[in-house]
Amino acid sequence: MIQADRTTRPNAPEPERKLGDDGGPNKPDLKKPTGPNELLKRLKKVDPDQAKKYRQRSGQ
Amino acid sequence: MDLDWLLAGIETEYGLLVEGRGANTQIDDSMALVRGYPGECFVGWDYRFESPRNDLRGFRLDRLEVDPEDAKFDTDRLSRPDSDVRSDRVLPSGARLYNDHGHPEYATPESHSLGRLARLDLEGEQIVHRAGQAYAEAMGAEVRLFKNNTDFHGASYGTHESYLAPRSLGFDGLYESVLPMLVARQILCGAGKAGEFAGPVSRALGAVGIGSGGRNIPFQISQRADFFVEPFNAETLFRRPVFNTRDEPHADPRQWIRLHVICGDANRIPSATRRKVGLVQLAIALAVVGEAPVWRLRDPVDAFKRISRAGAAWIASGEEEWQRTSAGRDSPLAIELKGGSWTTAEQMLESYFAAAERILGLDPASGGIRGELRQVVAECRTLLENLRDCRDRFRRHVDWAAKANLLAQYVESEGVAWNDPVLQALDLEYCDIDPENGLFASLVQLGEVDAELPSDAPEYNRAFARGLATTKFAAHLCGVTWAALTFEIEGRRREVHLDPTKRYGPELAEIEDVTSFVSRLQEIAE
Repeated sequence: MIQADRTTRPNAPEPERKLGDDGGPNKPDLKKPTGPNELLKRLKKVDPDQAKKYRQRSGQ
Repeated sequence: MDLDWLLAGIETEYGLLVEGRGANTQIDDSMALVRGYPGECFVGWDYRFESPRNDLRGFRLDRLEVDPEDAKFDTDRLSRPDSDVRSDRVLPSGARLYNDHGHPEYATPESHSLGRLARLDLEGEQIVHRAGQAYAEAMGAEVRLFKNNTDFHGASYGTHESYLAPRSLGFDGLYESVLPMLVARQILCGAGKAGEFAGPVSRALGAVGIGSGGRNIPFQISQRADFFVEPFNAETLFRRPVFNTRDEPHADPRQWIRLHVICGDANRIPSATRRKVGLVQLAIALAVVGEAPVWRLRDPVDAFKRISRAGAAWIASGEEEWQRTSAGRDSPLAIELKGGSWTTAEQMLESYFAAAERILGLDPASGGIRGELRQVVAECRTLLENLRDCRDRFRRHVDWAAKANLLAQYVESEGVAWNDPVLQALDLEYCDIDPENGLFASLVQLGEVDAELPSDAPEYNRAFARGLATTKFAAHLCGVTWAALTFEIEGRRREVHLDPTKRYGPELAEIEDVTSFVSRLQEIAE
């Protein structure tokens, strides 16, 4: 809905295609770990203090 | 309209952590890491054409500002020559590997293809990782490298994009056409950040914080937003702008500008890299024909930060609540315009897409860059839909949402608060480029993110010639830049310019003698 004080552009046409419809490069053949908690297990292995210790020079 | 001249490159400063060492030795570590790169490379970067103090607005700065806190780390290095500190290596692909303020930096070869550029950016991760492994072995210490843009303590380092743009656009044409895109594209390209940093400069300039809600932001879309304090200037180390006005063309300065974009993030998802660059190229192409959408932002710095901080609203709301609140003037994605009007980041992006379709002829049969831009537009529209109504699809393609989802799982599982420092530890782990240990690599392995491998088709532009020169004629090569090569042949110096728009074909690889090679490069450039 367009409101009175809002700057807008014309509505967009519908997307012509969705992600993955392009026939692009194939995804790599990766072995998928099993188990619903795999990712959480991985997260829990992270050193919780590592960001506190991570100090960098200022760059561009 | 011809779009084949569109050309871009990406330069990424990597975070560097060496066991037992710190920021005070970071420049030494970065220099040694680059110098120890075990792959084939050429030493001999030519600094004559570098002009970081030149400003697009037509003047030259006396000096560039430095972060006074960071300057405390500098000692004798300031008196060393550039070539010593930078430690440049030119790689066979035409890429550049060097030390930049203590960060190993990889600059991709320039490319006319979005897919190939994303591939080259990925190759950079592997090259920097290899250099890190070699340095770890040499030091007998753990070396970790991060593709990110902040250390959570006030330091930021960039992932810059370079775009070829006609000189005729000038500062005004580029600024007006590209700035709105830089602000809006975050929602499709940001890398995400746990927390905020309100540094001393930002505080002094009043640039951090939006109203009363700017403190204690638990999650942001952009890694860099906290560090911008001005809409435009030529600085990069301090008092950073959203739109950088450095005028350092890597081509004939009478004809070309290199638009130097410093407000983007380091992406891990290759399709996000492709999207990030494609969106700016859309804006540049529209600027060339005078058809870029006109959006006059009330305060570009505030708008950039506000969009970045929409990440906090995202994690705090469910899909339905986000849909309900993201359309009005109080939406996290709202952008104030001059004259009291307003719009949203989504609307802003759509205006570029509609103009591109109308003006640039992005028809389905388009090949080359035109086809790639068409793909970017289609993907972005789908993602904007997913942003509203399908988070599970959105987060597969956009780094900040992938990271937010990761952190949300941890918050839910462990019962920690969103401002718990452990989330910054997880954020950092996402950016670790180690393919064995990095968290992003785990997401790829689990099929949680888009792992599309971008194109590895060869490209025959001036980077190909640069790479050939460094591998085949290194004995005669005495200087390399983006735009020129200098050879020494029979006691005479011969400098050849490399035209960014010309084709340097595979037949160059068949030439066996340096004199013929140089002559052929000159013919191509004329």
